[in-house]
Amino acid sequence: MERRLLPRRGTIWSWTTQGFLPKEPYAGDETPETFKPFGMGLIQLGDEIRVEARLTESDPTKLRIGGDVELVIIPLRTEASGRQVVTFAFTPI
Amino acid sequence: MQDVAIIGVGLHPFGRFGTKSAIEMGAEAIRAALADAGLSWREIQFAFGGSFEVDNPDAVVAMLGCTGIPFMDVYNGCATAATALELTADSIRMGKYDIGVAVGMDKHLPGAFTSDPVHYCAPSWYGQNGQFITTKFFGMKINRYMHDHGISSKTLARVAAKNYRNGALNPKAFRRKPVSEDEILGAKMLNYPLTHYMFCAPDEGAAAAVLCRADIAHRYASKPIFLKATALRTRQYGAYEVHSSWAAVQNTASPTTYASRAAYEAAGIGPEDVDVVQLQDTDAGAEVIHMAENGFCADGEQEKLIAEGTTEISGKLPINTDGGLIANGEPVGASGLRQVHELVLQLRGQAGERQVPGKPGVGYAQLYGAPGTAGVSILSI
Repeated sequence: MERRLLPRRGTIWSWTTQGFLPKEPYAGDETPETFKPFGMGLIQLGDEIRVEARLTESDPTKLRIGGDVELVIIPLRTEASGRQVVTFAFTPI
Repeated sequence: MQDVAIIGVGLHPFGRFGTKSAIEMGAEAIRAALADAGLSWREIQFAFGGSFEVDNPDAVVAMLGCTGIPFMDVYNGCATAATALELTADSIRMGKYDIGVAVGMDKHLPGAFTSDPVHYCAPSWYGQNGQFITTKFFGMKINRYMHDHGISSKTLARVAAKNYRNGALNPKAFRRKPVSEDEILGAKMLNYPLTHYMFCAPDEGAAAAVLCRADIAHRYASKPIFLKATALRTRQYGAYEVHSSWAAVQNTASPTTYASRAAYEAAGIGPEDVDVVQLQDTDAGAEVIHMAENGFCADGEQEKLIAEGTTEISGKLPINTDGGLIANGEPVGASGLRQVHELVLQLRGQAGERQVPGKPGVGYAQLYGAPGTAGVSILSI
């Protein structure tokens, strides 16, 4: 096994939305009241691999198969200590 | 190798049953299957039991009689019941036993399934990140499929509406009320393009079948149904399946495609010979895709076939005549034996209001689920 740097940009192979609050082990800190749907995509990075990731966009009219996306870091939760936990996602460009 | 016949089927209704245990439901399904075959539990030589929630389905012997028989428990995701069926059949095919029972039982909490992703060979972050969700996979798969093959949301609504309509004709179904295409399309979007009414729900229930050597089947049944083939497959490299955190750029066909081909070959039967079909409709899109993966049409033909009513009970290729998973819900361990129960009733001509006309002779059942496992069974008169 070797480490390999993947491209930061890719294209959407397919996408969907997550319209309900995931159960545990989901680590986001939304409640059923504060939860907002998020996008999910299978992102093709060059000719190397497809990776599944969250999308920053969840509006179906703004997402399309073949659309270009770029890696970003987004907040996932804020812990009681105030420390912010972040995760990776792709954003349409 | 011995051929195998199905001489009895039994079904505990699917739905919600308060404090009643899955084991009790399993016992009722087995009793019903035994009564159907005209056999007593004492005459059963072995059994396979499938469940997700029940650690030991074999505990059902406490309710049926502690006869000391070998009773093996299996779990294989959504293909659990197909696995119990195949193992029961294989034990007879090998000549080890003459008569056995396959049973499935489950009782799930409401809402989408969850677990620790590590048990599915997925990384822990995959769950923490909100990606360990089966329904999202189905949304992603059908969205791409619609894009590639020109399937519309209207077609998804038609599939769900058909299954609710069929469920309304089935006294043992969970959902027994027709739902209109407009209501289906207008329901809450769970995972685009799939709305709430396009998905099945985890629920409760049990199903059982009594199998025996084909050459002695006429002792027990005036119209035995023959189990012509069973096939199970897991995913191959490159497939994008439930709980995949990544996929190869080179696609391969889903495990259903491979299980289907193997079953057709073993049965010496082709898709053109099949008269009544049960497909895994975890969601309406899955039924559409599975039509092609099981060889019943080319990719994209579903749009026209479904609009023309081909998959209705009155159509040329009736699919999910008992309402499928959408109307019955999915007690994982029992789901595939519900399919077999329905096919047996249809092939015997005992399906009542939902009977497929024209004396169907060949039935086909398919299961698919996490983490990329499929099961296919082919039955004939």
